[in-house]
Amino acid sequence: MIELRQLTRRYGEVTVVDGLSFDVRPGVVTGFLGPNGAGKTSTMRMILGLDRPTSGSATIGGRRYADLPVPLREVGALLDAHAVHPRRTAFDHLLSLAYGNGIGRRRVEEVLGLVGLADVAGRRPGGFSLGMKQRLGIAVALLGDPPVVLLDEPVNGLDPEGIRWIRTLTRSLAAEGRTVLLSSHLMSEMALTADHLVVIGRGRLIADTGLEAFVQAAARQGVLVRTPDARRLAPLLRESGATVRPGVDGGLMVTGLSGAEVGGLAGAHGIVLHELTPRRASLEDAYLELTGDSVEFATSAAGVVS
Amino acid sequence: MTAYGVLRSEWVKFRSVRAMLGCLAGAVVAAGSYGYLFGTAAAREYLGASAADRAAFDPTETAFRALVLVGVLVSAVGVLAVTSEYAAGTMPVSITAVPRRGLLLLGKGAVVALTTLLVGPPLALLSFTLSQAALAAQGVPSVGPGDPGVPAALLGAGLFTGLIGLYGMALGFLLRRSAGAISLGTFLLILPGMASLFPKPVARWIVTWWPSAAGARIFAVHPGTELLTPLAGAGVLAATVLVLLCAAVAVFRGRDA
Repeated sequence: MIELRQLTRRYGEVTVVDGLSFDVRPGVVTGFLGPNGAGKTSTMRMILGLDRPTSGSATIGGRRYADLPVPLREVGALLDAHAVHPRRTAFDHLLSLAYGNGIGRRRVEEVLGLVGLADVAGRRPGGFSLGMKQRLGIAVALLGDPPVVLLDEPVNGLDPEGIRWIRTLTRSLAAEGRTVLLSSHLMSEMALTADHLVVIGRGRLIADTGLEAFVQAAARQGVLVRTPDARRLAPLLRESGATVRPGVDGGLMVTGLSGAEVGGLAGAHGIVLHELTPRRASLEDAYLELTGDSVEFATSAAGVVS
Repeated sequence: MTAYGVLRSEWVKFRSVRAMLGCLAGAVVAAGSYGYLFGTAAAREYLGASAADRAAFDPTETAFRALVLVGVLVSAVGVLAVTSEYAAGTMPVSITAVPRRGLLLLGKGAVVALTTLLVGPPLALLSFTLSQAALAAQGVPSVGPGDPGVPAALLGAGLFTGLIGLYGMALGFLLRRSAGAISLGTFLLILPGMASLFPKPVARWIVTWWPSAAGARIFAVHPGTELLTPLAGAGVLAATVLVLLCAAVAVFRGRDA
C-alpha cells in the first residue's frame, strides 16, 4: 500500500506536483496516467525518496521510503531502463544492488532467469537493446521479491512482444497480492493492464477510479453533428446541458444529448444539419477529454467551437 | 542494509569500472617513470654542484617527488568512483538500494580509502627504488629502503594516497561531473608546483600550508625545521579532506538524486 497525502513539489515558481492525495492498493494493477510533464515521474521519485517533497508526504505502509530498513525487500522500482553502467555486467549490476540489501548471488541468478537474461548475465549492458535493458531494470525491481512494485513508463519504446511481457508480468504480480503502480501516458495500454486508474494533469489529481467505472463513464453515447452553422448550434447545445468538442473534419462531438434531442434543437432554430451520427466515445476520447485542459504543450484546437 | 553489505556493494561497483583501474595502472607507470626521471635529474644536479651543496645533498628528497603526480591519478580514482555513477545515471538506483545517503557515501569512502591506502606504499617503494637506482648509477650518494626514516616515509605514503583518494571522492560528490572534478582536483593538487609564480609571502604560505604541499611532508625523511613536521603536514591534509567530506555529505543528503 502506497499512501500519498497532499504531496506537493515546487521548483521555484513551477509546481510540478500539486497536492496529490491517493492510495495505491495491493492486489490490483494501478495505472498512473497523465500527459507528458504531468508530474508522474516526479511523484514516483518522491515516493522513492529521491526527490524531497516541498510539502505533504508519500509513505509505503505508513513509513517513508528512507526509513525502510531493507528497502529492496519492501519496494522494487524501475525508473529509467538506461540507468546502467555500460561496462558493468548485468550480473554485477544486480549483485552490487543486492549486497547492500543482504541479498545473495542465488537470488541474482534467479531474477536473471525470471526476466529471461540468464544467458547474458556476464555481458556488459552497453550493447543491450532497449528491451534487454528494460528486462534488466525489471530484474532490479524484483530483486528483493518486494510486495510493492513501481514501474515508470515500462513499455516505452518496447516492441509488441516486450509490451505483452510487461503486461503479463504486472498482471501476475498483482495477482500474487502485490501493490503495483504502473505509469504511462498511453490510455490504450492501461485499458489492457490496469484495474484501477489514477489520472493526473499538471500535477493535480483528475481521477482516481476503477477501470470499469472509467469505461462506463467513457462509453456513454455521443453524437457527431455536421452543420454549416456550427457557430450558432454549439452555444445552443451547451445551453441545453451538452458537452461540445470539435470532432473530426470540422464536425461537432456532442455528449449529454441524444441524437433526437440534437436534431430537435437544430430544427427549432432552423439550423441545417448535414450529418447526425450516434458515436460511442472511445476510452482514448474519455482520457483526452479528462486531460485536455492539462496538456503541457497543447496545440490549439480547430476554431469551430470557440 | 548493513555497513558490511554496503561495503561489498561498493566494492562490486568499484572493481567493474575500468577507468578507475586504468588510473591505478597509470599511477604505477607514473611512480616508476617519474621516480627514475627525478632521480636522474637530481644526480645531474649533484654532479654539477659545489662541494658545500654536495655536502648538504639529501638523496631521500628526490625519492618521493613522483608521488605528487601519482596523487593526481589517485584523486581521479576517487572522483570516478562517484562521477561514473552520475554519468551512467545509476545514482538514483544506488540511492533506492541504500536510501541512507550518509551510509552510501561512507561505504564508497571506505572502498576508495582502502584501495588508495593500500596502493600507496608499493607505489612509494617503486618510486624510491628507481630514484635511488638512478642516483647510484651515476655514483651519487643514495640510500636503501631500510635506512633510518625511510620505512616510515614509505608507510606514510599510504596515508597520503588514502587521503588524496578521499579528496577526489569528495570533489566527485560536490561537482558530479568527471571532467570538472578531475580538472579542479588536479589544479589544486599541483598548485604548489607553481608557487614561485606568486609574490614571495604568498609563495611561502602555499609551500607551507597548501594542503597538498603540507600533505607531501609525510614523506620528509629529514624534515628540518623550515616547514611543517610530517605529522603536522598530514594533519593539515587530513583536516582539509574532512571538511570536503563534510561538505560532500551535506550536499549529497540535501539535494535531489
